[in-house]
Amino acid sequence: MSARADILARLRGAVAGSDRVTRQAAAEARLLAAARGPQPVLPPDGRLRFQQRAVAQACTVDAVAGWASVPAAVASYLETHDLGTVAVATPDLAAIDWASAGLRVACRGAVDADQVGISGCFCAIAETGTLLLLSGPQTPATVSLLPETHVTLVDSRRIVATMEDAFALLRAEHGQLPRAVNFVSGPSRTGDIEQTIVLGAHGPCRVHLILIGETV
Amino acid sequence: MAGMRSQAMHFQARAGQKLADEVLQGALRRAQPLFTAKRQKGMASLAADGLDFGHLRAAAAAIRQAVLDDLDVWLELFEARAKARGAEVLWARDGAEVSQLVVDLARRHAVRTVTKSKSMLSEEAALNAALLAAGVRPVETDLGEYIVQLADEPPSHIIAPAVHKTIAQVDALFADAHGRPRQTRHSSDIPALAREAREILRPQFLAADMGISGANFLVAETGSAVLVTNEGNGRLVTTLPRLHVVITGIEKVVPTLEDVATLLRLLPRSATGQDISNYVSLLTGTKSADESDGPDQTVFILVDNGRAGLLGSEFEPMLRCIRCGACMNHCPVYFSLGGHAYGWVYPGPMGSVLTPLLTGLDQALDLPWASTGCNQCGEVCPVDIPLPALMRGLRERQQHQQLRPRGERWARRVWGWLALRPRLYRWLTRGLVRYLHWLADGQGRIRIFGLVPGWTAGRDLPVGPGRSFHELYAARKRD
Repeated sequence: MSARADILARLRGAVAGSDRVTRQAAAEARLLAAARGPQPVLPPDGRLRFQQRAVAQACTVDAVAGWASVPAAVASYLETHDLGTVAVATPDLAAIDWASAGLRVACRGAVDADQVGISGCFCAIAETGTLLLLSGPQTPATVSLLPETHVTLVDSRRIVATMEDAFALLRAEHGQLPRAVNFVSGPSRTGDIEQTIVLGAHGPCRVHLILIGETV
Repeated sequence: MAGMRSQAMHFQARAGQKLADEVLQGALRRAQPLFTAKRQKGMASLAADGLDFGHLRAAAAAIRQAVLDDLDVWLELFEARAKARGAEVLWARDGAEVSQLVVDLARRHAVRTVTKSKSMLSEEAALNAALLAAGVRPVETDLGEYIVQLADEPPSHIIAPAVHKTIAQVDALFADAHGRPRQTRHSSDIPALAREAREILRPQFLAADMGISGANFLVAETGSAVLVTNEGNGRLVTTLPRLHVVITGIEKVVPTLEDVATLLRLLPRSATGQDISNYVSLLTGTKSADESDGPDQTVFILVDNGRAGLLGSEFEPMLRCIRCGACMNHCPVYFSLGGHAYGWVYPGPMGSVLTPLLTGLDQALDLPWASTGCNQCGEVCPVDIPLPALMRGLRERQQHQQLRPRGERWARRVWGWLALRPRLYRWLTRGLVRYLHWLADGQGRIRIFGLVPGWTAGRDLPVGPGRSFHELYAARKRD
């Protein structure tokens, strides 16, 4: 008997309840219902809440009025932190005029040598100050992962309240999940030595957010 | 049993050693208040968002219980959807089968090095030893796991594997393994040690052919694995190598993404007090032809290793466990001894229940007794597992299966016989408490109790006022 058949047989012997067809139909109905659990009561200003929580997660946050101001904002952040003028960005950001702010930006997946990675995000979550990044040909996951500094562009209109809202948006716009959906909340960290939190474990050491769009 | 050899039979002997280990005791003393304060902070942030812990944990427990009620169906749903997205799904009855499957995969794909994100199931299977024996080098990449791998020790905590190590010990291990000039010694130098591990491990991440991870949850709706980490090693292990292997227990399925969201409001808060961990990755299928990163192949290994035997039994609630570590973080026994005393993969209250159930009742005789009965673990459990009740259940089984010493069994039977005869019981206890009171010294203590001298070897027996509970109760009612 295969391990699969063996294990499933043991499970069937142990679970009570009605016949398999009925139980399977009930399970599939549960999937379709996609019912939410207890929901948090959040302040109405999602943008403010997002910003506060992102800062609490050790992100730095800047805000600009529109996409045209993004290159200058990135250049200014890099200059302030002495991070040079070279960066790698996800290919979906290729249309941005990086050179206008004196930046040399390559739009591709990141490699180990890259020091700064720039990406957008699918949406952002106010409840926890979290970014939601999708993998894909235009949005390789390495850009937000290998460089020590990760700069994320966040469209203010794409801030949702909760993780459930983010999933709803994902289902509506993409149907099926991409290979990787990464929820990112601040720079990587570890508490594994004497329970002392250190920023910058294996992922980025700095996460800088640029909020784009009118403040409400 | 294949997989990691259990040392749980040596609990008492090990407990003595651990109590005498000054360095360990110092590390544990420092860690405990940090753990409990973190969870308190997490609970406060729940309340600030208008969420009630009791309400939320009832919802979380219901999600986990619903899956257990139809575990066969949920696993098949998960399997079908994972396969539809291009993943391979394999099954393993025990640790030996896990190791065999992974070694076979490594051979088939010409794998030389493996990077691993934390997987407790790979500890159950003793996978690292099997890989080494097959000529494949496994590298643990979670900082805590990396430290215990250098020390050639098992983890001592399920979310903080190196909690028993001091900075000086970590520094010495790094000095040995990395051969770099040393500057670190103090707590303020911990960032430098973390930096060193980052620099040493980065090339390993880039070079690995296979990445092995666990999964915090498997999502039936989407056929995905959910990975919750802080360090980013989980992302690296599942993004860079050409082959990704997920090793996880069959009980880890949850139905929907909404269920994941509910559980994630509790898991990080219970574990580290964070509102959310730095990285939550939802991994589905393999990379498409036009993508530059991600594995070419994803393989799930669904492992039983004794879990099916709990289903439908009084111990089934243990399968709801989401491995947050809150029970051990609030356990006076855990923080007296550390995790290694428990002798197998899982320490603390959840380990005291799980180890006997997965490795054999007769292989871990002391563990169900490694409890003060204070129920702190039950109070903090985010999926409402009645841990002390399960430990009592295991003690009962030991009694019924004649696994306790003869004298102890007899004493319990005599007590049981008496407890069913209230008048005799009251009459005898009246006599007994008076006798004990007479034995005690001026401070109401018995220093050495002749009947069971072992019991008073490390402590005194405190004695009451010389009147039985029933007498005192009756007197109070008269007043």
